[in-house]
Amino acid sequence: MALDGMAGEAHLLAREGAEHDTRARSPGGAAIPLLGPDGLDRHVRRDLRKQEIAVARQFMGGRMWPYVVAAWGCFAVWLSFFPLAVMHWLNLPLAFVLSCIFATGGYVTSHEAMHSNIARPNSRHYWINEWVGKVSTIPIVFPFSMARLMHLEHHYHCNDPQKDPDYSDEAPSALKAWYKTWYNRQPGVDGSIHAYKRILAEMGTPEAAKALRDTLKLQLLFMAVLFAMAWGGYAIEAALIWWLPRHVGLSYIRFYLSWAPHHPREGRTGRYENTKVFKSRLGHVLSMGMETHLVHHLYPNIPNHRTKEAYFALKPILAQRGVDTSSL
Amino acid sequence: MELALRKLFYVMPFLFGIGFIAPLIAQTMAYWDVAAPFGMSRIAFGLMIGAPWGLYAMLRGRWI
Repeated sequence: MALDGMAGEAHLLAREGAEHDTRARSPGGAAIPLLGPDGLDRHVRRDLRKQEIAVARQFMGGRMWPYVVAAWGCFAVWLSFFPLAVMHWLNLPLAFVLSCIFATGGYVTSHEAMHSNIARPNSRHYWINEWVGKVSTIPIVFPFSMARLMHLEHHYHCNDPQKDPDYSDEAPSALKAWYKTWYNRQPGVDGSIHAYKRILAEMGTPEAAKALRDTLKLQLLFMAVLFAMAWGGYAIEAALIWWLPRHVGLSYIRFYLSWAPHHPREGRTGRYENTKVFKSRLGHVLSMGMETHLVHHLYPNIPNHRTKEAYFALKPILAQRGVDTSSL
Repeated sequence: MELALRKLFYVMPFLFGIGFIAPLIAQTMAYWDVAAPFGMSRIAFGLMIGAPWGLYAMLRGRWI
């Protein structure tokens, strides 16, 4: 997915051409290039793609250290809540609000790490990328190894009902989507993390096996901490620092990062249709940059904080590719 | 090992009812200074709610 160097560009362009060539050689097809489903011929599509890549390149990378500071700083503060709560030195309502923010926002920093946007795998700083990912999703009891594998599957098979691990978030309306974020976490429902565990078991790769082990370990740790704190007389503290913020965070993440940008999912698996551009009632920041999530699906190496800027630069090209750009 | 873990996660809602919900109910009652009915201790009352609720969630696969 990353476009590193000219080889990446050539590969993308070649893929575009190949897709069209396949259509042109179909039985009964004409000898001259046929129009694609977007009404553009192969030359226009190729030209637009070249322009798109050139624009997108301007927004890849940039300052990523704020993600590192946010991830490690927030995790350290959140961790300090536990001893502070036991020592009765904590303002619990404030800690609850902050824990909800950390649990929710942690996914954003982790998400950058999933795509190795903080440091590339061949970099000597790659360990920073990995540890940003690892600590960010601990408050929502979602190990980085699982999060990364499932998120990449989501990118590879976006909106495929059988292969997209996030397809179970689909719901006909926003209200029902909020409900489903909770429903999918029920112990007997094959959604959310339960579906992820099933998919990992089916994948059968060493990475999937490790992700499954990490998940079991983190879930057991979560339960052990909750039980120990609860029976030690700190049940309310455990509920407000970890248990409830996890639920709030997971619901918020599922709604804004999965349902809102991909609804309606059915039949929309194409590159320019699997994610929609929308105007959020809560604005760009509170919807965690999801208004322009399409840019992320097109170019995952553009960091989250630059997708809006990139979207406006790409907007004329996207409009020509058939993207509905009317809402933003 | 895998089978044991599978069984552990199957009974986890029940354990959660006893391990977390029961003391949470008891401590919330204590925080609001609410006494348990029928002269019971708050933790006994919490267990009376948490254990069957967890068992229900384990068997039904839903908390509600």
